[in-house]
Amino acid sequence: MSLAVARTPGGAALARRAWDGFVRRREASVLVVAIGLVIYFQAASPLFLTGDNLRNIAQATAPTAIVAVGIVFLLVSGEIDISVGMVAALAPYLMHYAIDFYRVPAVPAILLALAIAAGVGLVNGLITTRLRVPSFVTTLGMFYLLYGVLLTTSKAYPVAVPEPVKGSLQTWLGAGDWASLSWCLLVVAVFHIVLTRTRWGLHTISVGGNPLGATEAGIRVNRVKVGNFMLVSVLGAVAGLMEAFRINSIDPNIGGGTRITFTAIAAAVIGGTALAGGSGTVVGALLGMFVLAMLQNGFNLIGVSANPFFLIQGIAILVSMIANQYLSRLRRTGRS
Amino acid sequence: MRDLHPTVEQAVETLPLNALTRRRLLRGTGLFSSALAASALLAGCSDDPAVAEGAPGNFPRTPSWKFVFVCHVTTNPFFTPTQYGAEDACKLLGVQFQWTGSVNSVVAEMVDATNTAISAKADGLALAVVDKAAFRGPVDQALDAGIPVVSFNADGARDDPGTNRLAYIGQGLYESGYELGRRALTVLDSGEVAGFIATPGQLNIQPRIDGAQQAFKDSGKPVTFTPIATNADVTQGLSIIDAYVQGHPNLAGLLAVDAGSTQSVGQTVAKYKLRDRGLKVAGGFDLVPETLASVKNGDLDYTIDQQPYLQGFLPVLALYLYKLTGGLLFPTQTNTGLLFVTKDNVDPYQSTKTRYEGSDTAVKLVERSGPIAHG
Repeated sequence: MSLAVARTPGGAALARRAWDGFVRRREASVLVVAIGLVIYFQAASPLFLTGDNLRNIAQATAPTAIVAVGIVFLLVSGEIDISVGMVAALAPYLMHYAIDFYRVPAVPAILLALAIAAGVGLVNGLITTRLRVPSFVTTLGMFYLLYGVLLTTSKAYPVAVPEPVKGSLQTWLGAGDWASLSWCLLVVAVFHIVLTRTRWGLHTISVGGNPLGATEAGIRVNRVKVGNFMLVSVLGAVAGLMEAFRINSIDPNIGGGTRITFTAIAAAVIGGTALAGGSGTVVGALLGMFVLAMLQNGFNLIGVSANPFFLIQGIAILVSMIANQYLSRLRRTGRS
Repeated sequence: MRDLHPTVEQAVETLPLNALTRRRLLRGTGLFSSALAASALLAGCSDDPAVAEGAPGNFPRTPSWKFVFVCHVTTNPFFTPTQYGAEDACKLLGVQFQWTGSVNSVVAEMVDATNTAISAKADGLALAVVDKAAFRGPVDQALDAGIPVVSFNADGARDDPGTNRLAYIGQGLYESGYELGRRALTVLDSGEVAGFIATPGQLNIQPRIDGAQQAFKDSGKPVTFTPIATNADVTQGLSIIDAYVQGHPNLAGLLAVDAGSTQSVGQTVAKYKLRDRGLKVAGGFDLVPETLASVKNGDLDYTIDQQPYLQGFLPVLALYLYKLTGGLLFPTQTNTGLLFVTKDNVDPYQSTKTRYEGSDTAVKLVERSGPIAHG
């Protein structure tokens, strides 16, 4: 699915084909919704598009969008991971244990945390594929297991970011104003290419779309799935570390348990990824998360208090998504 | 501009919108305009705009300042009277407030809400500082931007408030825990005491259990104090306390430092008739109806009221006075109280439905009569 490029010049025809190319894209409808929200919130509060506030939105978007990228791969290959939020909470503690208890230098400690996260994904994947436990149940079990490990080892007490990490490392990995967004855009760009242009992406899509056909075509279904479990876990750990660096505290409640997981799944689905597997888009997940973050930030900026907040957010999500569905239908039928 | 009915124009004027938005709203058409009006109305309804028409009381006319409260558990019933307190102070002074933060103590969400308030150029901030490192940066940013900040309900750790907020308005958390323990020591000379805490490490209750522990240590009496983690979910907390009591038949005291655990301690004492089995003291915090009933029945000896209404009312007042005087009247450290509710004074708490304890929304006078209890 690439943008149609008009070979023959001619303003109208060119614009027409560009437009056709745009509306054929899966992400088009959610992009229109996102732009609509930007216009609405800017009209409601002129502070919406200030640099400060854009930074707020970027910081609210980035970590969950990174998790959503992993979730897209997993959903596309026909599985789901509930435990990723706990991996996000555990990863900063793993780094803290390595640095403060075992004197591991900063960068290896961070890599170690990511490696352990990959191990969690590996276990999730093996239990699901080899022992044939549905991934929802596998990862629900893993969620509680990791929660227990987290609370026991941390004594449920928040700790400071370790000294060796402070300074430029912390700034680059999340504390800087635009650090998390930069990483997020990088991750999205890389994995957009992986999903659309590489063999791994093709296999992921075929595994989710038609498992039997994929097996018969010689694709190692289990290996693809296990790989995607590991991917989502590692990205979860990245998000957790970034959040810890940003808020300058390692807190057992980072990710809010299942909150980051379900927000990421919502972002992926809003962006155009099928819950049932077989199709999805990484860029769409980013846009979906951007929409969710804007709704949160915009209503806060306007000054909606906590109790009516959910009422308004709920209505806004429903309205946006009904519009999204309507636009998608237009897109599919080709009337634009 | 199209012709508008004067009442419409007047109504729009009262909404908390800036000039630009108001103009767009008046000029706007159809869906856009009505959506904007609807959201503004909802925003308006949520915390009563109270635009400064005339000047309140003996104060000069001021802009309708907006103060933002960032709470760690925005929808927790404990903070219902806090929100009433903030609302009442705002109406009194012709200012507004917004109640936001996190529903379940996710610090990153609270930081986001704080940053958004700073971007929105709030006129003052009240923060529940439940993490001593995370809020340092945002508070400094707010102060740099000229926004006064006070903390309410929670204020970092005991040795380190964690932020450069101007003042803390809330209960002295460590001190209240210390008093919880001291009061138990008046009837207790030895034995096992369990201290229940819903979320260990959370800085709005952890200092209390530390304080209680210290009180037992300082007394020099042969009392063993064991902190036990329950759960933020009251139903699970109850099971945990129930199991603990069954496993430890010789308990001399049961204390709790949060509303849920306190209520569950009362229920457990009643269930196993622990008073007949050597339990000397049971006590805790906050005024949940079940807790008050337990105090009345004698299952709990005492519970501590921290007057949440004042934790909303006083921050608004402090921020208002700071703004009003150009920073000359500086917010002061304020202890919102350490009031023991016992069998002797529990009745009015149980029988009175009032806004000031969060059990009613109506604005009405609470009568009292008779002498005031004193030492």
